Amino acid sequence: MLGPVRSTASMALRARPTARALISFRIPSVAFISNTSHKHAEAHAIEPSSSTALRKNRAEVPLPSQEQPKSAIQYALTTLDQVANWARQGSLWPMTFGLACCAIEMMHLSTPRYDQDRLGIIFRASPRQSDVMIVAGTLTNKMAPALRQVYDQMPDPRWVISMGSCANGGGYYHYSYSVTRGCDRIVPVDVYVPGCPPTSEALMFGIFQLQKKMRHTKITRMWYRK
Amino acid sequence: MSTVTRTLRNLWRVGIRDAAHQLQNIGDTKAGILIGTDRLGNKYYEAPVTTSKHQELPLRTRWVDYANSEYSPDQIEPGWHNWMSYSTDLPPTEDPLSQTMKRVWELKEHKPVMTLSRSAYRPYSTTKVKIASWEPVSKARS
Repeated sequence: MLGPVRSTASMALRARPTARALISFRIPSVAFISNTSHKHAEAHAIEPSSSTALRKNRAEVPLPSQEQPKSAIQYALTTLDQVANWARQGSLWPMTFGLACCAIEMMHLSTPRYDQDRLGIIFRASPRQSDVMIVAGTLTNKMAPALRQVYDQMPDPRWVISMGSCANGGGYYHYSYSVTRGCDRIVPVDVYVPGCPPTSEALMFGIFQLQKKMRHTKITRMWYRK
Repeated sequence: MSTVTRTLRNLWRVGIRDAAHQLQNIGDTKAGILIGTDRLGNKYYEAPVTTSKHQELPLRTRWVDYANSEYSPDQIEPGWHNWMSYSTDLPPTEDPLSQTMKRVWELKEHKPVMTLSRSAYRPYSTTKVKIASWEPVSKARS
């Protein structure tokens, strides 16, 4: 039952929303929920087949992890990428951006119980020497320019892990006047770790997910394609 | 505690083939007893408790050999996770309390995290959009 509604909604969010897609999405739900007096008179005149038309246009594109190498050069570059990705995964140096209580859990990750050093993860205090920034805690409006500046100082390739509800979307302080509602408004985020605060295990799992993302990164293959 | 002698001793115990597999996947050679296999095919091992000085370190006596090459800790089933994190002494093959997917309210099969796959969670908003787009409509000149 939810299928067509959901696909329409996600299509409407992903692509540039056309009026038809938006209105057909509004019909079932918002007609009852809306608390404004403004109503769309033309909303009822839309034919019900618009969602099926959207579904037909959908094309299945293989995921980056599902694409197979085709030529000899691609096989060679795949191996090169594997070596580079192995090196990247094996020495992931995070820039600690500890802002609040999440930073305590981030510190626990480096203590002997979870022992991030065995994964080659060493905290660096300097953004020039780090690969990944772990934003742990509430990002306030006052701190946001500093966060962006630190991110800009990091050398490529760089990744960002957003740790905890506050960094993900404001969390508990979402409605505060002084809090940035999510650090993804400031920097591009690769992995979101949920929790308030997330356990050290959860952060470690987020790091594993980031390593998985790195494993499937095409470095030289994308360069060759260009 | 990984020393050259320990690595070679465990290699001698488990054999070259298994040792190569272990070095490829967990980066260490470990000798232990196969405790069980879960539904996904992951194999769970435990080093026997001895009084010798070659005993594995605490919290390193239980480990898993993943069936999937793209392994991740979320592929461990809940009951086995319980055992892996030393919550119970008995593995789910012997402990009825840690056996999962038996109760009515439990999932029928274990579902790992689907991030970076086609079944990944994709958020969508159910609220009304705050900004209404405006499409300019001009009448054709007569």
